[in-house]
Amino acid sequence: MKFSSAALAFAALMMTGPAFAQDADALMSAPPGEPFVQVSDVLPLPEFLPGLGTLFVDPGTLPAGPFLSYDHDGKLSATVYMTPLEELQNGTAYDGLSLGANTVAGVDIYYNAGHPGVETPHAHVVLFHDDGAKGRLAE
Amino acid sequence: MTLSRRQILALGGGLCAAHLAPRNLLAASIEVIEMRGTARGEHVWFVPRGLAVTPGTVLRFVNRDKGNSHTATAYHPAIFDRARRIPAAATPWDSDFLLPDESFEVTLTAPGVYDLYCIPHEMSGMVARIVVGTPDEQGWEGAAGPSDDVSQAVLDALPPVEEILSRGRIEEDTR
Repeated sequence: MKFSSAALAFAALMMTGPAFAQDADALMSAPPGEPFVQVSDVLPLPEFLPGLGTLFVDPGTLPAGPFLSYDHDGKLSATVYMTPLEELQNGTAYDGLSLGANTVAGVDIYYNAGHPGVETPHAHVVLFHDDGAKGRLAE
Repeated sequence: MTLSRRQILALGGGLCAAHLAPRNLLAASIEVIEMRGTARGEHVWFVPRGLAVTPGTVLRFVNRDKGNSHTATAYHPAIFDRARRIPAAATPWDSDFLLPDESFEVTLTAPGVYDLYCIPHEMSGMVARIVVGTPDEQGWEGAAGPSDDVSQAVLDALPPVEEILSRGRIEEDTR
């Protein structure tokens, strides 16, 4: 059976993953509440990271996250995962990760050399939750 | 203002001495070393990554990376128990994390070779080498050799002392 790339993309966008147990509406605006902490409050990083926005994370889920990404208006815009390359290479799998929201409009995956919190080279997997999210998080 | 013959001769002598000094050895002053990174953090680096200065020069490290924090940290047992890669007579330093546009200054007085790194980005080769003075100065201490404390990638990223002395400043940035 063959699938067209467009059909696969559509299916991927419509897939739903395990969402957080708490009320999804509570995550839609910053701050998301416990157990999440604002990354810039606990690590030496800017409050708003160009491309990633203002990040919140449950420390118990580090390093992969999910990191909840909010725009300048505090709107949930993306869910971000950070997966160390060496751990992946050594056989670690990050399965069943939660989503900040079930709607995914686009995905970016790219390399990052490291930063406080995830200091080894890793991949950023960014799930944007609406069409304008990437633009709002850019600067 | 009129200058006496002696003053003119002294001025001329000073100008000659300035011309005879090593061309690329920068005068004692403030030298800025920037911490930079690509927008998505794929690459991070110091600019310059190799620099020759005179004893007493102030180094000002400035974070120009909008999306990351960086440190300028000397390799020294007093800081995270690292093997020493600065002159024995030098005082080690650690800038701590610098957020975007924050800066940190340190004055280097002991002649010799100083290797430094960024704590969260050493694995990515974010290191730099500062050469203070010249090998003919009293108390000069050359570059530390290989050790188990630093990776080969880090050693490869440090410019050779001879190249720093001949060029004065190394900041190729092709990324």
